[in-house]
This record gives sequence, C-alpha cells and structure tokens, in this order.
Amino acid sequence: MKKIKLPDLIELPPLLDPWDQQEASGADATGIYEFYRNLAEGDLTTTKCRDCGKIGFPPAIICTNCLSDNLEWVRIPEVGELYAFSEMRLGAPMILDQIAPFIVAIARFGDYPENGVQMSGMIFDSGYDELKIGDRVKWEIIEIKGPAERKRYWYCFKKV
Amino acid sequence: MRNVAIVGGGITRFGVREVGWKDLVQEAGKAVFDDVSNLDRKDIDSLFVGAAQPERWVYQTHVAPLVAELLGVDVRRVIARTEVACASGQAAIRYAWLSIATGLSDVALVLGVEKMNTKHMNISQTCMVNVGNREFDGVNGFTAPPFFAMVAQRHMHDYGTTKEQMAIVRVKNAKYGVMNPYAQFQKEVTVEKVMGSRMISPPLSLLDCSAMTDGAAALILASEDIARKLTDTPVWIVGGVQVVEHSHTVNQMGDLSEWKALRKAADELYKMTGIEAKDIDIAEVHDCFTISEIIEYEELGFCKKGEGGKFIEEGESYIGGKVAVNPGGGLLANGHPLGATGIRQAWEILMQFRGEVPEGRYVSGARIAIAHNLSGMAQLHHLMAYSVEKPQNLKG
Ligand SMILES: [Zn+2]
Repeated sequence: MKKIKLPDLIELPPLLDPWDQQEASGADATGIYEFYRNLAEGDLTTTKCRDCGKIGFPPAIICTNCLSDNLEWVRIPEVGELYAFSEMRLGAPMILDQIAPFIVAIARFGDYPENGVQMSGMIFDSGYDELKIGDRVKWEIIEIKGPAERKRYWYCFKKV
Repeated sequence: MRNVAIVGGGITRFGVREVGWKDLVQEAGKAVFDDVSNLDRKDIDSLFVGAAQPERWVYQTHVAPLVAELLGVDVRRVIARTEVACASGQAAIRYAWLSIATGLSDVALVLGVEKMNTKHMNISQTCMVNVGNREFDGVNGFTAPPFFAMVAQRHMHDYGTTKEQMAIVRVKNAKYGVMNPYAQFQKEVTVEKVMGSRMISPPLSLLDCSAMTDGAAALILASEDIARKLTDTPVWIVGGVQVVEHSHTVNQMGDLSEWKALRKAADELYKMTGIEAKDIDIAEVHDCFTISEIIEYEELGFCKKGEGGKFIEEGESYIGGKVAVNPGGGLLANGHPLGATGIRQAWEILMQFRGEVPEGRYVSGARIAIAHNLSGMAQLHHLMAYSVEKPQNLKG
C-alpha cells in the first residue's frame, strides 16, 4: 500500500498568538503602527481628533465620531481608576493559558466618557482579594517575549 | 410585507456529542422534515444556516451549500450562512423572515449548528476570545466568563444583587431542563450547590455559566398561504429588531450593569408590535450566565432597573409568575451551541404554543412570546416576537 509520510511534528505559524499585530511594514502591517512604536518607547497612547476633539480608543486611522482623518497621538493619563475586575482561573485561551491565572480588569483614565478612555488590561502584581472597585491603578508597559523575530510590547495595569 | 409563520421544527440532543458537525446537521434536518411531513422538499426555495465559527471549530467554511447537500435541498432563491457570534441562529430566522415577507422566498429551511467540543478545549476558548476586539480586548483575556464576571461584580456593586439571587436563576432553569430531554444538563440543583461549585471567574462559579455545547436545531418558515396548507398550528413572526450602538470594544461600553442597547431594542420591539412587557407569556432569554438573565428582566421591562435579583427571588420568572422565563431550561440547562441557540429558542416557543412539552414546563394558554439573543460581550441585542395570532391581530 502506498503511504504518504508526514513529519512527526508539524510546525504551524503562531496563528493563535494574540500579540501578532505589531508590524511596521509588510503583510502584517497596521495603520496604527505608531501605537506600537510608542509602546516600545514607554508610552501608552491613542488617537485624538483635531477637528472634533474626541479621544478614541482603540486608536484608529479615522475619527469614529466625525470621520476626520486629521488625528494626533496623545498620551493616555498614567493613573486611572479600577472600574471592574475578575480573575481568569479556568478556561483560558491558548497562549494566555501559559500565564493564567491573572486578573482581568477594566480601568478608566481621564474624564470618561467625555474626555477619557475605558480600557481592558491584565493585572499581575495583585491578587483578587487585594483589589477593590475604585482602586487607583496605573498603566505600565510590558515586553512580550516569545517566538516573534522582533521585540514586542504591550501594557498592563498595576495598583498604585 | 407578507405574514410569515414557523410551520415546524426539529432539534438534536444538545451536549458533548460524540458525533461530527455534519451528523448534527443531518439529525436536525431529519427531525424538522419529520415534523412537517406533508412538505415536499422541492418546495423549499431558500436556505439560511446559522453557524458562528465552523471554520475554526471544524475547519470547514462555505457551509450553507454543504448543508443543502447533506439534506438534499435544492435552493433557487436565497442561500446564506449568518454569523453574529452567539446570535447567529436568530439571525438566520430573521433573514428567512425578511426574504419570505418581501415575496422573494416562499418556503425556507432555517438551520443552526455548532460543534464546540473538540480534543483541544483551549483552542475553543481562543475562538471565544476573538469575539471581542482581538487586538485590544481579546489579548487581555476577555473571554466570556471574566467579562460577565465583571458585569456581575458591577451589578452587585451598583444595585446590591447577590450571589444567592444569581444562583436561583440556575436553580429555576435546571428545574425546567430536567423536563427537556434535549437539554445538556439533566439534574436539578440547589442554591448551595450552585454557590459551592468551582469558581471560574469570581464572582461566577461553574454553575453560573452556560456550557460549550454541540447541537443543531432547524425550522421551516413559510408565507401565510403555504403555512395554512402545511399546519393548523402556525407560529407567526410578529416582529424583530437588533440594536447595537457602535459598541464593540470596552471603551464604548460605558456602565457594564446597564444594557442600554437591550432597553432600546425592547422599546423598538414593543413599538413595532404593539406588545407591552406585561403581555408577554413566555420569554426565551439569553442566560449565557445567571447575571445575564437578571439584567434581561430589567431591560426588557419585566421589573424596575436594579430589581432583577428580587424578581427571581420572589419567583416572578417561574411558570405561574409574572412571565415564564426560559421554561425550556434556557442556555444554562440546554447548553449554548452558538449557531443553534436562537433556533432552539424559537423551537421551544413552537413546542410551547403547540402544547407538546411535558406538563411541568408547559405554559398553559400562552399567546405571546419573545426570544432574546445577545452576542459577544452583550454588545449586540437581538429580539424576535412570536405569537399564535397574526401580527395584524396584536396591534391595538
Ligand atoms: Zn472627530
């Protein structure tokens, strides 16, 4: 009988790696590359509309309020307020299951919703029982070490 | 607009099924054709398939023509697969309704299916994390349990809802699920058992959550003249709306304990149909988590904002209360195969109106029912209204 021989281990590209959208050029490029470049330089930023003044998050290439493409990059205020949190104990997705359990949180920075943002983020340095709604938290840049060729960055929250 | 009716339905057993995606399609398809035995399959001119992520769970795309082949159906008007995550099934019903109402189609097969259990459950969780904005929220671990846990935390904080009240939702739905042979979970539970089950994402315990489920459900929809020939007990579609307010990422969601889009959807549906919350006999609502059902009582207008916990505590959502909510066991007892859930809800209403459910979960004399699906992180709310009366007879 004819056989088709497959390799013992089939290597796939890291399709399920959630931090894959950080490229400046090539097929994986993003129009908001500046967001990632700013992260690499230690800043968490987003786009603000120069025409209507609306702060958007996530950053984008047009303003979702007035559709203007006349945007500027602004720094998200460093300290905000913990709005809600839980903990990923069971059922983490692939890749993230490598770092579970972790706190999953929502925090508000600036004067939300008029002139601020509400963001999701992970918390690593505090346990679930050490947190409460209304706690002051700050964002902090983290490095994602892994299979990518270049250095990659993200952010998390930390209780102040 | 022409009147459109559901003339028959079929369903598979929901659960961790040791069968494939295509087997589920054939089981549900055979069941619906058995139910409408006087229908000639050649009269079906359109097919709508609700399926959320077949390309990720079973590596199969272009699924609508595959379903046509599996059930021996030739389409000549409209064929489509619908996807809006957890509400993909109701979307399929909606498009069949639209197509028949406008006169483009006369008879449509609507089938919803999902195969979510595989050997690699962390890949299944990855499918779920991509329902939110993958780049900005999914990346932070926003699968459904931690997100709805935060919704519960905020509702407890803002309105004083308790974990006991949430547990009673599961107790109620488990009670009805025991009387539903198609439901994934066939055991009654107590408040203590729910509260003592393993913590998944605090404050949500395992039994506060619906499950990853394999299952399929199917309906036949037809125009009024054809429906009259096929059945003496048509269920009329009297209205349907969907509301999303440019909300997908966490930044757009505002307060988690208020589902303004659902409130707006309910207002729109009530305006469209002439139905008021107090007229509803059966509400099939999207209890993906116990807290969801509590918020749904409030936003659908069954009780005041913030009093959803009290509403279940006082037994108002049981059969015999103000409104029978999830008398088939809901998502909590049935499980939640994404593409099939919205169709399972309509199937339950069909069986209720026909009186083909066991005594203990039968809502006697029911005339008006609504079905609520939500999708993703409650960003999008989908409502349908069904009745034993034609829409013209409901409007005051
Ligand atoms: Zn603008």
